[in-house]
Amino acid sequence: MSGKHAAPEAPRAAIGQSILSAEGVTMQFGGLRALNDVSFGLSEGEIIGLIGPNGAGKTTFFNCLTGLYAPTSGSVALRGTPLPQDPAKVTDRGIARTFQNIRLFPSMTAEENVLVGRHVRMKQGPLSSLLHGPAFKRSEAEARSRTAELLEFVGLSRFSDELARNLPYGDQRRLEIARALATEPSVLLLDEPTAGMNAQETEATRQLIFKIRDLGTSVVVIEHDTKFIFTLCDRVLVLVQGELLVEGTPDEVRGDPRVVEAYLGAPPDEVEHQIHAAEETP
Amino acid sequence: MTAIEKDPVVEPAAVEAPRGRLAGLAPYATALRAAGGLLTVVGAYLPWATFVLNDGPYPEKATLEFFTAPLGVSGFRLHLLVFGIAAIVLAFVPAVPARGRILRALGWGVVAVSVVNGMYITTQGGGFGAITAADGAVAFGAIVALIGGAVLLVGAFAGGLEGHARWGRPLGRFVEWALLLVIYALLLLLVAAVLTSGGQGSVANPYSGAVFLSFLGALGGLLAALHSAGVVTWVTGMSERHRAYSAIVLLAVALLLPLTAAGTQYWMTVAANIGVYAATAIGLNIVVGLAGLLDLGYVAFLGIGAVVAANFSGATAARFDIVLPFPLVMVISAVVAGIFGAIVGSPTLRVRGDYLAIVTLAFGEIFVRSSQNNIGGLTGGSNAIPGIPPVTAFGQPFNESLTIGSVELPAGALYYFLIVVIVAAVMAVFGNLKNSRLGRAWIAIREDEDAARAMGIRTGPVKILAFMIGATLAGLAGAFFAHKTGTVSYESFRFLESVTLLAAVILGGMGTIPGAVLGASILFVLPEKLREFADYRLLIFGIALVLIMRFRPQGLVPDAHRRAELAPQSEPPPPDGSTGPAAAKVAAS
Repeated sequence: MSGKHAAPEAPRAAIGQSILSAEGVTMQFGGLRALNDVSFGLSEGEIIGLIGPNGAGKTTFFNCLTGLYAPTSGSVALRGTPLPQDPAKVTDRGIARTFQNIRLFPSMTAEENVLVGRHVRMKQGPLSSLLHGPAFKRSEAEARSRTAELLEFVGLSRFSDELARNLPYGDQRRLEIARALATEPSVLLLDEPTAGMNAQETEATRQLIFKIRDLGTSVVVIEHDTKFIFTLCDRVLVLVQGELLVEGTPDEVRGDPRVVEAYLGAPPDEVEHQIHAAEETP
Repeated sequence: MTAIEKDPVVEPAAVEAPRGRLAGLAPYATALRAAGGLLTVVGAYLPWATFVLNDGPYPEKATLEFFTAPLGVSGFRLHLLVFGIAAIVLAFVPAVPARGRILRALGWGVVAVSVVNGMYITTQGGGFGAITAADGAVAFGAIVALIGGAVLLVGAFAGGLEGHARWGRPLGRFVEWALLLVIYALLLLLVAAVLTSGGQGSVANPYSGAVFLSFLGALGGLLAALHSAGVVTWVTGMSERHRAYSAIVLLAVALLLPLTAAGTQYWMTVAANIGVYAATAIGLNIVVGLAGLLDLGYVAFLGIGAVVAANFSGATAARFDIVLPFPLVMVISAVVAGIFGAIVGSPTLRVRGDYLAIVTLAFGEIFVRSSQNNIGGLTGGSNAIPGIPPVTAFGQPFNESLTIGSVELPAGALYYFLIVVIVAAVMAVFGNLKNSRLGRAWIAIREDEDAARAMGIRTGPVKILAFMIGATLAGLAGAFFAHKTGTVSYESFRFLESVTLLAAVILGGMGTIPGAVLGASILFVLPEKLREFADYRLLIFGIALVLIMRFRPQGLVPDAHRRAELAPQSEPPPPDGSTGPAAAKVAAS
C-alpha cells in the first residue's frame, strides 16, 4: 500500500456524553432468538463498529434501533428518551440509516433521493405543496441548496440529475449515505457501507465516515471487513448468535481469543494469521 | 435577453452497427431504402380495391374509379406518397442525422397504413381478391405498399441505426416563444385533424374507423420520425424552458378548438367526454402513477361526484329539493368524493399491493351495487337520475350554441370550455403536488415503502392523502359529468370503466400529465371511432394494449427516463466493468 494509506486515521474527535443507548434488547422471532439481552451505549462523536458472522443479528439490531422491529424486551433511548416504535418518528428524532442491500429510490434522480431525505426537516404542508406560494419556494430552495451541498460532500455532484439506478455501485452506496445525512441525524447507522467496493472505494468511504463524524454525527457501522472496522472505529462490538460477545477498543477486540475462536469459526492459528495480515496492510 | 438566432447544433451520434442476419445486407442499404421508398410511391398510385365494396367505394378513390383522376392522390394514399418520397430523398442524402431511425419510423408508418387499409378492404370485400385481382381488374396497391414498407424497414436496419439526434444550444427567448406559438398552433390543427379524421362513424360513413386508424398509423410514423430526428426532444426542451408561457399558450390553443374543423356539436361532445376522463385519469395518476397504489375501483369516485351533483341539481328524481349553484355543487361533490377517498384509502395502513387492489375492487363493486339498488334513494336505482338541467350562466344554458359577434360557437362548446378549465386546474394540482415534498414522498413510497419510512415519511397519512386528493379530482369531474350528460346512472361507473381508466394511465405513461391525457384520449376516442367494429372493438383494444405493453412498457409519454435522456451526457461509468450499472443492478437485486 502507498504511503498515503499508511498514514494514521484522522485524529479522533473528543468523545462526549452518551447519545444512544440500548438496554437488554431481545428479539424473538417465533422460536428463534435473534438477539439476546444486547446492551450498548454510543457517545457523541464516537464511531462504533459492529461485527459478527452472518446471521449474528447485526441487522436485526439495527432494525430494533430504528423502530422497524419492536424488541420483544428491552429498550432503546436517544438522549435518555425512549424511542417510538415507528421508523418515521425515529428518523425525525435524529437516527438515520442505510441498508445492507442498497435501497435507494431507483427511478428518482440522485438529487430527488436526497430531497426525500429532507422530508422530515422541510416545513411544507399539503396546502403549501398545492399552491406553491412564497413560503413553498423558500423551503424548496433551501432543500435544494442543502441537497447540492450533501451531494458535493459525498462527491456525487456530477450525478445530480442521473437516475439512482444508473449510478455505479459504489456511488449508489454513497448516495444512500447522502440521503441519510439529509435527515440531519445525530446518529448514523451504516449497514455494510463498503460491501462490494474495491480498495480505493473502501478507503474513500473510510475518509467519508471520518468527515461525517467530524461534523458531529455519531456513527455505528456494520461491516465484515475487519481491517476496515479496526482502522475506523473507536470501539468495536462483536455479536455472535444474537449475543454480545466482546466489546472494547479495536486492539482489545483484535487480541481477544474468544473473538478469534467464535467469530471467525476457523482454527485459531489461521485466524490469528488473517488478523495480523489485516493489521499490517493499512 | 437578446434574441440572437443560432443554428441548432446537431451533435454527432454514434452509429449502432447492424446486427445479425441483416449485417450482410449493409452494402445494399441505400438501394434497399430507395427501393422501399419507390415501391411505396408506386403503391400509393395503384388502385387498392378491385371492386366497389358492399358499403360503397373505398375512400380516397382507392377503388377502380381512381382512373378518373390518376394523379389526384389524397388521404391515406397521400400519406404514403409523402412517406415514400421522404424515404427516397433520405436514402440518398447522407448528412441527415439519425437517418436510419427516421427511415425505420417511416417504414413502420407505411406498414401500418397499408396493413390497416389492406385488411379492411380484404375483410369487407370477402377475401384477398379484393386487394389483388378479381373479375379481370387488378389492385395491388396495398400489397405493393406493404412490400415497400417492409423493404424500407430492412434497408433501415441494414444500414445501421444511429442514436437519436440531439439539438443543442437554446435559441433566444423570443425566437423560442414564436416557435412554440407556431408549434402549438400546429398541434391544435393536428388534434382537430385526428379528432375529425374519418368523420363520425355511421351507416352513411362506413369507413370512418379504417380511415381513422390509417391516419393514426401515419401520424404515429410521422411522430416517431420527428422523435428520431430530435425534433420532439427539442420542442419538449423548449417548452420546459418556458413552462409558464407554454401553459398559457396551450390553454389558449385548447380553447380555440371549437373554431377549427372540430367545431361541431358532435365533436364538442366527444371532446368534453375526453376531458372528463382525462381529468379523472390525472386524479388516478396521483394514486397509481405517483404513490404506486393500485386502485381498481376508482371510477366510483367519479360516480360519487356525479350522484352528489345530481341530487342538488333540481332534477325530479333528486333526493333533495334544493338547487345549488354549479360552482358550489362542484365543491360539495369534490369534498364528498374526497371523504370517500380517505375511507377507501384507510386500509392502505394495513394492506399492501395485490391485497389493496382487491379492497379497492370491492369498493367499486359496492358503489355499483348500492347505486343499482338505490340505497338511501340517492341514485335512482335502475331508473337512474334523468333530467338533470344543464349548467347555466348569465341565462345561457351551456348545452346550446352561442353567437358572440360574428363568431358562432357550436352547441356544447361552452361545456367544452368548462372542461378545459377543469382539466387545466386538475393538471395544475397534479403538477404542483408532484414537484413538492408531498409528491416526492408519494414517489418514494412507490419506489420502496420501507426505505421511505426510514427517511421519515409517515407513510399511512401520506398514502391516505393520495387517495383523498385523487378522489377529490374525480369528484370534481363527476359533477361536470352529471350536468353535461343530463343523466346519472350506475351503468356509467362499472368495473370496466375503472379498468379503462387504469389502462389510460398505464398506456399514457405513469406519473405524467401528458401521458394521462393522451391515454384517456386514445381510449375514449377509439370506441367512438370504431363503432362499426363494435363486435371486435374490445378485441382490437386488447391486442393494442398487449402490443404497447410489450414494446413500450413505460407508456407513450414516460416519466423520469425522458428527463434522464434530456440531461447532458454525464461521464461514462468507470471502465471497470464490475461497477457499471448492469453490475449494480445485479448486486442490488
